[in-house]
Amino acid sequence: MQRLSISWTAFLLLCLTLCSLLTPAVSVKHENFKTCSQSGFCKRNRAYADTAAAQASTWTSPYALQSNSIKFSQGLLTGVVTKQVGDETIRLPLTVSFYENGVARVTIDEEQRQKKDIELRHGSKARKERYNEAEKWAIVGGTTLSSGAATKNGEKKGETRVVYGPAGAFEAVIKHEPFGVEFLREGVVEVVFNGKGMMNVEHWRAKVDKPVVEKKEGETEEEQKARESAVVEGEDEGTWWEESFGGNTDSKPRGPESIALDISFPGYSHVYGLAEHAGPLSLRETRGDSNSEDKTKYSEPYRMYNSDVFEYEMDSPMTLYGSIPFLQAKKRDSTVGVFWLNAAETWVDITKTKSFVKQAVDKVLQNPVSLGVTGSMTTDTHWISESGLLDVFVMLGPTPQDVISTYSELTGYTQLPQMFSIAYHQCRWNYVTDEDVRDVDRKFDKFKIPYDVIWLDIEYTEGKKYFTWDPMTFPDPLGMQEQLDEHERKLVAIIDPHIKNEGNYPIVEELKSKDLAVHNKDDNIYEGWCWPGSSYWIDCFNPKARDWWVGLFKYDRFKGSAKNTWLWNDMNEPSVFNGPETTMPKDNLYAGGWEHRDVHNLNGLTLINATYDALLSRDKEEASAGGVRPFVLTRSFFAGSQRMGAMWTGDNQASWPHLEASVPMILSMGISGFPFAGADVGGFFGNPSKELLTRWYQAGAFYPFFRGHAHIDTRRREPYLAGEPYTGIITQALRLRYSLLPSWYTAFHEAHTTGAPIVRPNYYVHPSDDKGFGMDDQFYVGSTGLLVKPVVKEGQEGQDIYLADKEKYFDYFDFWTYEGPGTVSVAAPLETIPVLMQGGNVFARRERPRRSSGLMRWDPYTLVVVIGNSGDAEGTLYVDDGEGFDYQQGAYIHRKFSFKSSTGTLMSEDLAPEGSATSKKAKDYLRSMEKVRVEKIVIVNAPEAWKGKTEVEVGTEYLASKSGLTRKVGMEWHGREEGKAAWAVVRDPAVAIGKGWKIDFA
Amino acid sequence: MRGTRSLVVLKLALLTLSSAEANRPRGVSPEFAKYYKDPTTFTCISNPSVHLPASLVNDDYCDCPDGSDEPGTSACSYLSPLSPITPPDIPNNDNINTTIALPGFYCKNKGHLPAYVPFTNVNDGVCDYDTCCDGSDEWAGVGGTKCEDKCKEIGKEWRKNDEARQKALGNAGKRRKDLVAEAGRLRKEVEDRIQSLTTQIEGSEIKVRNLEDELRDVERREKGKIVRGSGQRKTSRINILAGLARQRIDELRDTLIRVRQERNSSKDRVKELEAILSTFKEEYNPNFNDEGVKRAVRSWEEYAARDKPSDGDAAHDRDLDAITQPDKENGLDWDEWEDSEESLDVDVLYKFEEYLPVPLRTWLDQKLRDLRIWAIENGMLADRPSDSGESRAVSDARNRLESAQKELKDNTDSINTHREDLAKDYGPDDVFRALKGQCVSTDSGEYTYEICFLDKTTQKPKKGGGDTGMGNFVRLETIFVDEDLPPDGKGLGSGQRIAMRHENGQHCWNGPNRSTTVVLACAEKEEIWRIVEEEKCVYRMEVGTPAVCEIGGGRREKGRDEL
Repeated sequence: MQRLSISWTAFLLLCLTLCSLLTPAVSVKHENFKTCSQSGFCKRNRAYADTAAAQASTWTSPYALQSNSIKFSQGLLTGVVTKQVGDETIRLPLTVSFYENGVARVTIDEEQRQKKDIELRHGSKARKERYNEAEKWAIVGGTTLSSGAATKNGEKKGETRVVYGPAGAFEAVIKHEPFGVEFLREGVVEVVFNGKGMMNVEHWRAKVDKPVVEKKEGETEEEQKARESAVVEGEDEGTWWEESFGGNTDSKPRGPESIALDISFPGYSHVYGLAEHAGPLSLRETRGDSNSEDKTKYSEPYRMYNSDVFEYEMDSPMTLYGSIPFLQAKKRDSTVGVFWLNAAETWVDITKTKSFVKQAVDKVLQNPVSLGVTGSMTTDTHWISESGLLDVFVMLGPTPQDVISTYSELTGYTQLPQMFSIAYHQCRWNYVTDEDVRDVDRKFDKFKIPYDVIWLDIEYTEGKKYFTWDPMTFPDPLGMQEQLDEHERKLVAIIDPHIKNEGNYPIVEELKSKDLAVHNKDDNIYEGWCWPGSSYWIDCFNPKARDWWVGLFKYDRFKGSAKNTWLWNDMNEPSVFNGPETTMPKDNLYAGGWEHRDVHNLNGLTLINATYDALLSRDKEEASAGGVRPFVLTRSFFAGSQRMGAMWTGDNQASWPHLEASVPMILSMGISGFPFAGADVGGFFGNPSKELLTRWYQAGAFYPFFRGHAHIDTRRREPYLAGEPYTGIITQALRLRYSLLPSWYTAFHEAHTTGAPIVRPNYYVHPSDDKGFGMDDQFYVGSTGLLVKPVVKEGQEGQDIYLADKEKYFDYFDFWTYEGPGTVSVAAPLETIPVLMQGGNVFARRERPRRSSGLMRWDPYTLVVVIGNSGDAEGTLYVDDGEGFDYQQGAYIHRKFSFKSSTGTLMSEDLAPEGSATSKKAKDYLRSMEKVRVEKIVIVNAPEAWKGKTEVEVGTEYLASKSGLTRKVGMEWHGREEGKAAWAVVRDPAVAIGKGWKIDFA
Repeated sequence: MRGTRSLVVLKLALLTLSSAEANRPRGVSPEFAKYYKDPTTFTCISNPSVHLPASLVNDDYCDCPDGSDEPGTSACSYLSPLSPITPPDIPNNDNINTTIALPGFYCKNKGHLPAYVPFTNVNDGVCDYDTCCDGSDEWAGVGGTKCEDKCKEIGKEWRKNDEARQKALGNAGKRRKDLVAEAGRLRKEVEDRIQSLTTQIEGSEIKVRNLEDELRDVERREKGKIVRGSGQRKTSRINILAGLARQRIDELRDTLIRVRQERNSSKDRVKELEAILSTFKEEYNPNFNDEGVKRAVRSWEEYAARDKPSDGDAAHDRDLDAITQPDKENGLDWDEWEDSEESLDVDVLYKFEEYLPVPLRTWLDQKLRDLRIWAIENGMLADRPSDSGESRAVSDARNRLESAQKELKDNTDSINTHREDLAKDYGPDDVFRALKGQCVSTDSGEYTYEICFLDKTTQKPKKGGGDTGMGNFVRLETIFVDEDLPPDGKGLGSGQRIAMRHENGQHCWNGPNRSTTVVLACAEKEEIWRIVEEEKCVYRMEVGTPAVCEIGGGRREKGRDEL
């Protein structure tokens, strides 16, 4: 027996060993990243919140607005909030700004630090103020003070009321003691600050050496420590002055300086945002018990501290590569938002309670309708940042579009990307030689698979020295790029912020001699490890460093780069292999004396900002008309990064759960004002099965940013390698993306002008349908009415799609008809992507398959008119040259297509404002587009009355002016059959895409 | 469904046919011209039930489900199994044939070879000169594209290249003949060698048989002979034992010294390795997703944590030092023992023979010996230990036999090797026999790559450092390749090719053992064209050699009319 059991043990061990060899145990290194309790300020503030909650009724927040300090004029309210600690009164200057666009902003600073009246420890050269420049990077507009905002007469004592916003529908009630703010829309309280009394501003204090507590006889160390802390007025000072994690000690020269605030959303059941996290779109509660069975609640707050999280896990509040501290709350028919402008490490706790709607007492009677919303959910959030100002923007909606639009006005709209950049990108770590690149390029053509961009990861450089090419493997980068250019294809090369510390490398020599790198706490150049080994980091907060960076991308500096070279900025969290939490020490210093802790989450933004400027400047000097729109991909980001380029969700894995998670992650980016987002198709780590790869391409065809990428240790997986039937199915998905590029581009233009997401979750499109508020596995593409639910599970051959509205939906491929509201089942064998067309929409596509998007420029359009229950349909199309800035001078086409059942006509109307196309560039552009026509109009759910009809009448702008001059073109009508809608095709109406016209079906 | 049409179609100037061109619509090849002859009606090629007015041919709108009405535009280019499915693709009752009817847009390429361009490339703004040198694929001039006719120069260049290629092919053919002849010669050599070996083996077998007999006789004769009278009476049992013991102790001591040296050098190596691993653990990049590295670090940590055998056991070393001293210093003087040549008086008592008369003594001797042999042969008496005291006659006979046996075995082995070699696959006409062991190499990136035919492939770093084996030859295979042929003809082309599989090369860090597939195509001489790492540590070499010309690797240029 003994022997047997031993051999069994051995056998099992062997099995385990083999298993671990076959399936590499992939999981995040939790020990490398802090939990709230390991992050001093988070722990302190959570404890503060616990105390406040425990004492609930008796708890009084020690913050008070001094009534006599309040001043209000021209939309700006100022005053002083005091914090009472024993006999000490700490003065915290307050400003509340009311902007024209209906945004209210509450900012709290600290007087003593403002006046630099503090002493830093360890002889630190850091700045003494709280970091007050986040605005400089994140905010670009929408901050015109509202002249219409006014204090309300007859207000109660102890509060100040300001009426503001569109038609004075908003109201801010500023409570004096304890300090707090309630934001009302049409008399209903929607957002509450400090309602729970968790507000906290850790003021400056000198370090006082604690009285040493002698260890008593027979006392354990814990007991001694407990007694020790009891001596110091009950507050745990353990993390005030110094903090260690993972062998690294933070010297904290300014002592404790965190800020925190509770923000409640009475009556709101869902909150979204706080990107980027690998979890559901609708954020989970975070005060769960980690031992509990209830996995719907996390036990950790959502963390935002941009990090290179290796092998990140699913469904987690752990921080990832980027942060957007913007949150939206949703209840039926109302959406509100708060934007927490702080670039330091930030944690957010979320709790929900069932409750009655809390309302300003005097409003209840005036608004009896809202009384009906009883027993609804209230969501409370608790925001905690390590340093900087308390600076919060409040948006009162009421629609999701209102909230995102005002947020986008503040932080900037997403860049209008070049057409190529929303087509397909082929990436791999690494294409190893220039010949390899040429070969992949040829193979795509050979297999008739379209693609626009091929990418080079870090191996193209000579020894990881950016701005160089490995002479052995890339002897001819220009020749390579010429080949790509033949079919209007582009190259994206990686350039990271770490600069190799090695002799005879001019870049690092300049970086050092010009003192443009990040400094350590002793104000000497900071040295850390990244891909090249010992490295320095460019300090893009330094204007001189940015100027230098801009110069590096000139064609004569970055030898081997060409006009079709674009950029990828990776590792910009920044990732430092040997740093605490794989990033820089918090006491590192930047230009202007700011500490890394103050600006950490902005770091990635500053780099792509510099790169964007560099590319702009590179091509401005070119003779080509007006320069070219830059393309930069970033891994790290902050609010505002959307102005400069695209992001991707970082190093995911070739597994079904990662495919599944990509959808909510991308949706979350979309509603956070950064919609140009994608996940690595195929999964970065590991080898996907062919089924997974195929499904991922089908999903990726509906990512705003569509790139296949793979780790260096994986097998090659370019689409043509998969073999049949997979290669064919993947090619169909790619061609589908290409055919719909006109609609994608229109969606990008909409995002660029209104902030609307490119892919839109249910709650956004149907803000009154609370059944869809938690939904994040299906989405609409722009305003096309295309509803997509990618298959993200192995072996799945069907998909249940939720239809929120009472409308007809049609299968994209065979016009099978579904009727909302409710859930419908759609067949989805491997070759099929579940895509439905919502009735009532018109969208455009280009059906001729070309080798790249650039070669589709002169192709004719097909319009798809999807007639819904009303019998009408409407849609828009935006077209420009897809690469330059001429569109800003009117060189674009913007049309609205509308089908009216009452008149039986389809019209094309101009959406461009009158007189917008007067510039020469605009005229030239429109002339160049005159021959580009509509070649086909497909009408889905065509009226039965058209049966037997074989022609329709076309009238064009030009012809119409000569009255009566119209012409007839053919039409084919196909009757309804077994579940499929009737449809019709107008044969080559040959109307110019940029011109007005009318087609008469009657 | 797509049946009769009576459409009033406005002809747009842009889209009208230029009928000057030899009566064939634009993009139609002579092969398909017959379908476009009717001046009024066009019938879709694969769907004869669909008739169109001829004016709809090449009007840049796709009417035929097989695309045949648009031979000169890209209007039907979306008809493809690679495109998203559209309602007409979904099978219904109409039995529409959606198989594409035409191979592509026909470029006449006057001055060069005509060719088909994929419809997706027609009027996309790019001059596809590599297939359509006359530029006719961009007839619409979209976006101002103008493609001048370059057939004259391209055709000239092509003919020049083609001539060179043909010449090279001719030379290659000649070289292949030489190779086959050489292979034949080599084969003949092997066959001849087998022939002569067969004869030799027969001789050897006879020789072995004779020597076996001889040995038996000698042994029989020598058996029972009592070893004695050799004069040197160093053979006292105790002395033999002492001699053996001394020899053995010497051996043991030498071995101990050697083992100890080996142990010390192993210890040093372990120390060095541990130092390497500690540095490795310190410096490895934990963010790099390398399971192999992570496992290695984990194992190292476990290893380092384990109790180590005590290293500096000085006492043990002292003991070893003492043991390895010469015997004399350990108080053991062998000579002292061996030299004591004391003859035993008792022996004399047994020398009674000497008292007998010689004839009787001889007779008795003979009888005793016979008896002894009989006893030994019948297993009643133990034979003398043969090792120490075998007679010279026996050992000579045995040596002669052994060397004859060895010769026989060598010859047998040799003949087997040659027979196996004859049976081995050396490709068609045995041609690779002529290349066996020949090596060619080329530079690519930071390495020089080498193939030694039917032996191995190797990667040699230019910067210095050891060579890496990329696999040893295992077998010939036939694989299908589909590559574009560069103008100089140095490429695989399309079709079945002979490939050499090389496996079990050096193990790859965090990967498999390296392996190489060498794909062969016809060329004037042996040369490596290209090396690709298709997957981690899986290589493919494209190699030219005349050996595969005209069979599999022979690329016949069949004109340029294939797509």
